[in-house]
Parts: sequence; structure tokens; C-alpha cells
Amino acid sequence: MDNSRMENLSLQDQGGPHGQNAPPQPAAGGLPPVPQLPPQMFTTAAQLLDLTDKKLMIILRDGRKLIGVLRSWDQFANLVLQDTIERIFAANLYADVHRGIYIVRGENVLMLGEIDLDKDDYVPEPYQEAPIETVHATQRKEQENRKNKDKAKREKLLTMGFEPEHSGEVIF
Amino acid sequence: MADADNDAAPTVQEPLDLVRLSLDEIVFVKLRGDRELKGRLHAYDSHCNLVLGDVEETIYTYDEDEEEEQQDVRIMKKQSEMLFVRGDSVVLISPQPSS
Amino acid sequence: MLFFSFFKTLVDHEVTVELKNDISIRGTLKSVDQFLNIKLDNINVVEEMKYPHLSSVKNVFIRGSVVRYVHLPSGAVDTALLEDATRREATQASARAKQG
Repeated sequence: MDNSRMENLSLQDQGGPHGQNAPPQPAAGGLPPVPQLPPQMFTTAAQLLDLTDKKLMIILRDGRKLIGVLRSWDQFANLVLQDTIERIFAANLYADVHRGIYIVRGENVLMLGEIDLDKDDYVPEPYQEAPIETVHATQRKEQENRKNKDKAKREKLLTMGFEPEHSGEVIF
Repeated sequence: MADADNDAAPTVQEPLDLVRLSLDEIVFVKLRGDRELKGRLHAYDSHCNLVLGDVEETIYTYDEDEEEEQQDVRIMKKQSEMLFVRGDSVVLISPQPSS
Repeated sequence: MLFFSFFKTLVDHEVTVELKNDISIRGTLKSVDQFLNIKLDNINVVEEMKYPHLSSVKNVFIRGSVVRYVHLPSGAVDTALLEDATRREATQASARAKQG
């Protein structure tokens, strides 16, 4: 592999607060800068810029799935979504609920995925759209079930000295 | 500052120095979420982010069968050739006697 | 910054990101930032049928804080260099700590 790139590890990286769009600086110690991919490619801003004005699937930490168009964001991944739909899955059913404009606080974001417009709204076979009431009822049952299971597991493993990954919070 | 020097002498002055001495050695890592790892330590930082090679992961799961008797902790093992571990999951790191 | 730099050397390699909610996503590492947020291209979800909402998604931005592991191709990692870089970073970090 390219040793010179690894050699560069740690010392002269312009991450940090001022690193956002800083021009490449000469390396510390007078070494000539090693040709690398431009540092401005490796910022939160650059990653989210590509996704702006695209139709995205946003998954939140509590398991909610939102589909919307990303209109604005900042370095914490706080987001503004337009024409948002929440898609609720339960067992093999799903339903869409219209939500409109959403502002999402970054820490609640698990991931953002760009929706392939050729496969737009494709949901694989066993899953079927159903009336929202049905999906809600199924979802409640599922959550109840999971809560009980989680509790039993947590209690058992706690006696063995294990720490739950996310205390009390159900992320899925 | 004034005291000590800054060479990388193999001394232990702060907790992570012990981890430094384990570089290229086998370590045991306990994680949140009922998991343990054993593998060769190749990198770490002050957040306890790690890179381990030739890792064996042990996951403890709990099966609650419908029949009340069959409740037990099940152990699952997984192998990975090279693994980055995010520091916020790490509970402890322990040097292992190489065997 | 060690791991930020490390991940930059892995751009364009195939990796599998395992999240704290147990989803595993395989894809080509396209980008990383200082928070270790990760962007993957051409993704494949392990156990796809369990996560139907991802089947029309082609690339993802994953928030660093929800990552549990990243499985890496061992051929792409020079472990000796990585250990050296780690020692250097450790020395720097403790020097910084001493300066208060």
C-alpha cells in the first residue's frame, strides 16, 4: 500500500475546528506535503453537500424512518427536511404518514440514505401497505413484546456483569 | 511540563500507557451491549477507539423460550480479520498473556 | 486525528459497518470526517429482509456516534505503520496533557 499516506498519519492533519475548508498547509518539520485527496473532501459539510436537495431515507435513533428532501443542514447533522413522510413498519405491514417540514436535531440521526430514484418507494415482497390503524396496532404489540424481552435479557445479563449498550432506550 | 521528559520510555504514568504497552499484543476488550473481543491491538487513541487484528468476538444473548425452563444465556462467536472498534462502546481493555 | 487519517487511507475499499442497533451495511468507503461520520456507496444490507426500508437506498451517510464496529480488509492495513502512528499520537497526547 501507499506508505507515504500512512506516514502522514496524525501529525499534520487539518481536521479540527479550523479544518473545515483550510487550504493544505505545509507539513510540520519541513517535509513537503504528500499528495493526497484534497482535505476539503473529508468534512461533514462535503459529505452532506452531495445529499442536499435529494430525496433521502432518514433513520432516527428511536427507529423512526422518514422520507423527505434534504433542504438544509449544519456540521452537527442537524437537518431540515421538506415534504416528509414517516413510514411505519410493523411485522410485514407498512403505512405512510404525511408529516411536512421537519427539523431534526443531529444527535438523533442514525443515518441518511439517498433513495435510488429507479427503485423509488420499492418495498420488497412480503411487506404490504396497510391502513395506518392496523399498522399502529401491530406496532404497539411488537413494541410491548420487545420491551418485555429486553427487560428479561437485561436483568439476566446484569447478573453476569454486563452493561447494556443503550440504557433503557430502544434503538432499532 | 517541567517534570519528566517526553520520550516514549516504556513507563506507565497514565492509564492509557498500559494500553500503549499492549500494542502488537493480544488484548481482551469488554464492550457495552454484552460483547467481548480478543485480538491483536494495532491502534488506539484517547477515546479508546481501537483497531484489532484476528479478532474473536463473543456475544452473549439471552433466549427466552416459550417453555419457561429453557431460559439461558447463549454464546455466539464471530471472527474478523481486522476490526475498528468505536471507543464509546469500550468498557475495559486488558492485556492477555500470550499463549 | 489518528483514526480520521487512518480511515482516509481506506477510501475506496470495501468495508462493513456494524451499527449499535445491529444493522450491518457493506459498501465502498467513500468519505469520512473528523467525527468519523462515514459515507458508503453501493451498499448492501446484511439480512436485507429485516430492514426493508433500506432496499431502495444506494448510498448512506452514517453518523459516527452510532457505529459499533467497522470490519476492514486486513490487506489494506499496514499494521506496523499503524502501530508507529499510534505511538506517535500517544506521545503527543500525553505531552499535550502535561502542558495542561
